[in-house]
Amino acid sequence: MPNEKITELREKTKKVMLGGGQKAIDKQHERGKKTARERILMLLDQNSFVEIDAFVEHRCVNFGMEKKSAPGEGVVAGYGTINGRLVYIYAQDFTVIGGSLGEMHAAKIVKAQKMALKVGAPIIGINDSGGARIQEGVDALSGYGKIFFNNTTASGVIPQISVILGPCAGGAVYSPALTDFIFMVQNISKMFITGPDVIKTVTGEKVSGEKLGGAMTHNSKSGVAHFVDDSEEECMNHIRKLISFLPQNNLETAPSQEVHDDLNRTDVAMNDIIPDNPNKAYDMKEVVYSLADNKEFLEYQQYYAMNIITGFMRLNGKSVGVIASQPKVLAGCLDIDASDKAARFIRTCDAFNIPLLTLMDVPGFLPGTHQEYGGIIRHGAKMLYAYSEATVPKVTVITRKAYGGSYIAMCNKELGADMVLAWPTAEIAVMGPDGAANIIFKKEIEAAKDKSAKRTEKIKEYRNTVTNPYTAASRGYVDAVIEPSETRKRIISSFDMLTGKRVQRPEKKHGNIPL
Amino acid sequence: MKKFNITVNGKTYAVEVEEVGTGQGGFAYQPVAQESQPVSDPKPKASPEPKAASAPQPQQQSAPASKASSGPVSGEIISAPMPGTILDIKVSEGQSVKEGDILLILEAMKMENEIVSPKNGTINKIYTSKSTNVNTGDPLVTIE
Repeated sequence: MPNEKITELREKTKKVMLGGGQKAIDKQHERGKKTARERILMLLDQNSFVEIDAFVEHRCVNFGMEKKSAPGEGVVAGYGTINGRLVYIYAQDFTVIGGSLGEMHAAKIVKAQKMALKVGAPIIGINDSGGARIQEGVDALSGYGKIFFNNTTASGVIPQISVILGPCAGGAVYSPALTDFIFMVQNISKMFITGPDVIKTVTGEKVSGEKLGGAMTHNSKSGVAHFVDDSEEECMNHIRKLISFLPQNNLETAPSQEVHDDLNRTDVAMNDIIPDNPNKAYDMKEVVYSLADNKEFLEYQQYYAMNIITGFMRLNGKSVGVIASQPKVLAGCLDIDASDKAARFIRTCDAFNIPLLTLMDVPGFLPGTHQEYGGIIRHGAKMLYAYSEATVPKVTVITRKAYGGSYIAMCNKELGADMVLAWPTAEIAVMGPDGAANIIFKKEIEAAKDKSAKRTEKIKEYRNTVTNPYTAASRGYVDAVIEPSETRKRIISSFDMLTGKRVQRPEKKHGNIPL
Repeated sequence: MKKFNITVNGKTYAVEVEEVGTGQGGFAYQPVAQESQPVSDPKPKASPEPKAASAPQPQQQSAPASKASSGPVSGEIISAPMPGTILDIKVSEGQSVKEGDILLILEAMKMENEIVSPKNGTINKIYTSKSTNVNTGDPLVTIE
């Protein structure tokens, strides 16, 4: 081969590698941000990245674009491995025309999406873009539309992860929103439909970009994002960790890891974690950590709707999704946000064959006009729907309160829990003893001389006869009452026993989850 | 109650405007209105919707009296996350607190809920007292 051909290839490659040029790269670094290529290399296993479509160019001839070159078209795409497992990846390159999305930029992303779907491997999209390339007009919009469509097609087939490492505004937000997981980094990520300037012009409201659409806003207020980190390095490690809990696609199970933790480990501290006073709270996270292999837990939406805890742990080396009431926050009540958070998480796990462990200590749905007007009925229904629909193994542990509708919503026997274990402290009833006694024994209490003493007596009577795990166990609604210290081995044994679970459901196009 | 005839784009609307006292701070939740013009100013805004004329009347129901009378207090408002009773107040005005410190105990849903500080700062104002019933969104304290 003539030498100049090789030289030409090398020259062309070198130009693409530099993206928007050294000046633009320096500017990106000044902003405290890494470049698209640095990010990909940081995330993937060493030397594993293989680039596709490096020489793609735009075809725009409007507004002087014909004279403008955009090396790599503002997005780096390809595949590589994380812990030896294949993933597809694309990263928008802010140094090239602000990472703006045009027809061919979108075409690169779409190609990666289609390959990921064809092969059945996760896809990770790193977003850092000024938005649509205005010069390309409707071609840019067409590009977004195609990406959204492919996001939806791939939903529930391969894990899709979005990483926001820069601006992601306007229509662009909907690709991440359609994916399974969104990562954001403090002070770097910005996500909004309309930015601070537009808001100021239209409504006069002044708000900073960080407050409007920063990492913590979407991780604590809006619930749009699922994970937050302080730096890009931490974010990349976080993604690698999450990937380890996920299968490659919906036909596989998540990889099992070698266990360095005793399957039969007991924790006597669990016998004392429930306070004697039923009005006192405790930290359910202690239970979660105690149960997990090596006490490791990867929390999902850690700062959003903290009255419910969601996340991934390993039991006997296998990935398990955890949904747990948090009595420390809002008394562990289910509200609109908690229902949305849990329902989404349950469906994510079910789509990817990750068994569900539910830890229940729930006093009820949160009362109030805010909740009713906000549609708690509609949102709470999502949880019932998601649990009922889920065909993965489901194990529920009732630690304390399990009242009324919320007891059902936290996956009781009837919603398809394969194994319901109750601690001796469980209070499974249609409502709390105080309320129930006031209704059932209303006449007796009113007829009594000392009403208050009679009420206390009747509350005690109700607590002793009804509010315990044994009434439910006598009907078979609870499969076993267990010592709290033995919970870990009991749930591991349950999941082990359920490995071969198969469920037949009537054929349908798709269900109609109340959204 | 004053009556005005307002002509917008050739169409005439009859509007009634009620003047309310200037000491009412219902606009504490509406900083925009505060900036542009006093709420008690009866000048109605031109609008094709006749019912819009009632907009200048401040909506009182959500603004607790204690907040309104105290004037603007700067800082982040910590409000009640759920309806319940204040069981205990662990801080006093002027006290400095750290993120995660317990501010109050709110008994709700038969549970003693700890309301913790979201940040480091100083307690500027306490709006509530022991044994008070609070509703979702009621301001409890402000932290600067």
